[in-house]
Amino acid sequence: MREVAFGQYYPAKSFVHKCDPRIKILFLIVYIVAVFLSKNFYALGACAGVFLLVALFSGVPFKSLLRSVKAILFLLIFMTVLNLFFHTGETVLWRWKFIKITKEGLYHTAFLSARLFLLVLGSSLLTLTTTPVSLADGIESLLTPLKWIRFPVHELALIMSIALRFIPILTDETGRIMNAQKARGADFETGGFFKRVKAVIPILIPLLISAFRRSEELGDAMDARCYAGSKMRTKYKKLTLTWRDVIAFFVVGGLLAGVILLRMHTAWLV
Amino acid sequence: MEAVKFEQVRFSYESENTNDANQDVFGMDKTDYALDGVDFTVQEGEFVAVLGHNGSGKSTLARLTNGLLKPSSGGITVFGLDATNDKNLFEIRKQVGIVFQNPDNQTVASIVEDDVAFGPENVGIPREEIGKRIDFALHAVGMQEFRHATPSRLSGGQKQRIAIAGVLALKPKIMILDEATAMLDPRGRKEVIDVVLKLNKEEKITVILITHFPEEAMLADRAVVMSDGKIVLEGKPSEILSQGEALKQYALTSPKSIRICRELTERGLPVSDGMDAESVAENILTALRSAGVTAWKDTETGADVDNEAPCDGKGGVVCENLSYVYNAKSPFETYALNGVDLQIHSGDFFGIIGHTGSGKSTFVQHLNALLKVPTAQKKYKPKKQKKGAPPPQKTVLTVDGYDLTDKTTDFRELRSKVGMVFQYPEYQLFAETVFQDVAFGLKNFRAEAKEEETKLAVKEALETVGLDYEEIKDKSPFELSGGQKRRVAIAGVIVTKPEILVLDEPAAGLDPLGKEEIMSLLHKIHAEWCKTVVIVSHDMDEIAENCNRATIFADGKVLRLDTPKRLFSDVEKMVSVGLDVPFTTKVCQILQANGIEIACDYTTADFVEKTLLVAKGGRTNA
Repeated sequence: MREVAFGQYYPAKSFVHKCDPRIKILFLIVYIVAVFLSKNFYALGACAGVFLLVALFSGVPFKSLLRSVKAILFLLIFMTVLNLFFHTGETVLWRWKFIKITKEGLYHTAFLSARLFLLVLGSSLLTLTTTPVSLADGIESLLTPLKWIRFPVHELALIMSIALRFIPILTDETGRIMNAQKARGADFETGGFFKRVKAVIPILIPLLISAFRRSEELGDAMDARCYAGSKMRTKYKKLTLTWRDVIAFFVVGGLLAGVILLRMHTAWLV
Repeated sequence: MEAVKFEQVRFSYESENTNDANQDVFGMDKTDYALDGVDFTVQEGEFVAVLGHNGSGKSTLARLTNGLLKPSSGGITVFGLDATNDKNLFEIRKQVGIVFQNPDNQTVASIVEDDVAFGPENVGIPREEIGKRIDFALHAVGMQEFRHATPSRLSGGQKQRIAIAGVLALKPKIMILDEATAMLDPRGRKEVIDVVLKLNKEEKITVILITHFPEEAMLADRAVVMSDGKIVLEGKPSEILSQGEALKQYALTSPKSIRICRELTERGLPVSDGMDAESVAENILTALRSAGVTAWKDTETGADVDNEAPCDGKGGVVCENLSYVYNAKSPFETYALNGVDLQIHSGDFFGIIGHTGSGKSTFVQHLNALLKVPTAQKKYKPKKQKKGAPPPQKTVLTVDGYDLTDKTTDFRELRSKVGMVFQYPEYQLFAETVFQDVAFGLKNFRAEAKEEETKLAVKEALETVGLDYEEIKDKSPFELSGGQKRRVAIAGVIVTKPEILVLDEPAAGLDPLGKEEIMSLLHKIHAEWCKTVVIVSHDMDEIAENCNRATIFADGKVLRLDTPKRLFSDVEKMVSVGLDVPFTTKVCQILQANGIEIACDYTTADFVEKTLLVAKGGRTNA
């Protein structure tokens, strides 16, 4: 009942939601590559433009997108401060003892922050528009070539989907155990590091025991339903590409080409 | 044809040990057998119920049938196939489907249809055919509309029906339900049993129903009772289940229907055994007629004392206009509580009734501030509040004299005064020894307490829950039996001597005798230890037998608060929110329709007493 969507999936029926998960994963990979290849703000601008386009068609409200940035806000600030004060450069703008801010430092910091920002936004857009299940399906399908080198793709995918399936159950269970121990006076909120670590034991042990019990029962249930690994196994669901995926393919292809062009010929922009 | 056949099957969980290690000096076998020489046959199309207390070996029986376990000795065949031979395993598992106890631990996928597809995928059925199998299986369990749903959002009964569908998709000839209803509420239990009966009748699937509910076993063609790894009774369910004394010896009970008939007979009103409320009522009517009574009306309304004195002091709860919203301002926003008003008096044995999702658990968690009363109440205004509607009322929540709307209240102290036992409390045990686990709460609340005091308190708590302190204190809580674990967990809560003890489904998952023991333990605690006891329960009979007052929760609101007698008299209201009524209420209703009006408080004892009075009255009149 108290289900907060895991992986922050935002339920909607948009263009982006309906895209094939494989294309979305590939899209994200290419997008990340493009962001890293970007050498200047023009290229980053192109990436941001593509991101905005996708975000617009995803039907995810901007608030939800920004919430994902919140999680890495600390990292962002930390990096900014570090870069701002310690980047070496020539044009000194401000100086206090051994700390100085340079023009190059400022530029560099702004660039790095923008890059990180775009990366996080892009990745969260994937998890916001794709259910964990179809994400796992997509990864399995993309990894299929690895079967040639005897990599256990099917097993990996099954482990992934079972893990996803048990996340809400174990989250609930953690909540229940925490409540039970809190009702017995356990205190998880105050005290120093050592005390807090110690306070986790009454939660961790029951949780572990229950996880083992569950896995044993699940194993039996799977055996009873004739599970015998991937050989002779068929698959009910098959991913299929649609016109949407073709459009997505062209958009991301265009972006990559643009960024590479900008990298080679920045001259005609400056 | 014989669907399943066990011949002299023995099984031990210690079978990895060599034979020598398990023989004592006289060469006698001292292995601890979970199954000890079982002969057992099931005919094709039969519906067999296997009864037994926890640890009687009935689950082992299920696991041996489809080769999840291998017997130490003896033979097992399924449709003539040798189940001890690994070559046959795959074929046997296709034919024998098992539905296990915990609905959460047998689904592999996060979407219903994917989970149902799992079995057919495993045996290599082509894709189009899998689609048809999913249609068939979901249709058979009546869950078509949930095809694309997420199992974790379904109710227990629905989850278990999905598990049945997952097994059905393999088109098995035999279905074993291994205590598949033990963790469900009465509604879920009925859903599952109805599906199973239908499969047996319409699809001709052989059913082995492993259970410890005598009422379920009554529905079978044949019943088998197991105890300590042996089959001890076998025959028609009505014959087996009427042997009250014999069943008690195996930690089982007769169904309430039979118990009532037997007690009436013993005390002078010969009533033949009835299976359900209808037949019991009919048999009572017949008996009364032959005693010369055809019409009756109890005028006395006593035995229904309700102290209406308001309470705000120690040991009670006053709650007014309590609301609680989950996931406020998100697409998942739900009102778990919507303006709850109720009072629990000091000294009550109070019952809270309601379905899963009715808000009862959310309410209970407020009682010791695990969920805090929302302080910024303006935020939680319902969206569609009309203009000119009265302004939101002030929320009041006072528990054992502590004001929970006041942020300065000492919530830690409150928690030591309001004990909370959650569902399946044994799953919270964590410490190395029973002593440490029970002492956990005490040490949290009273860090300054001396060793001696702690020891004394733990000893007292363990003895109150009926355990031998010296024997158990140094044991690991994980090596205890299920019932003992639950007692230890309860001891770990009452050790701080709370004024109010709240228990969520205290008897869930226990066998009938264990249930009775826990309930009588709670009465003992109520009498000697805690002033007020509050139980949350799905079981109407449990509420009727034990509580002096009870409330019904529905859709986050209190539907009614009254004595069980008055609560259950209003059958229509109970049914309107999808709740059941106690067995005795059903019988009374039918009797009333036939001119016999008995004013009892719906406990079995009172019902028997009053019925005997009616019979006596008839005789003196005649």
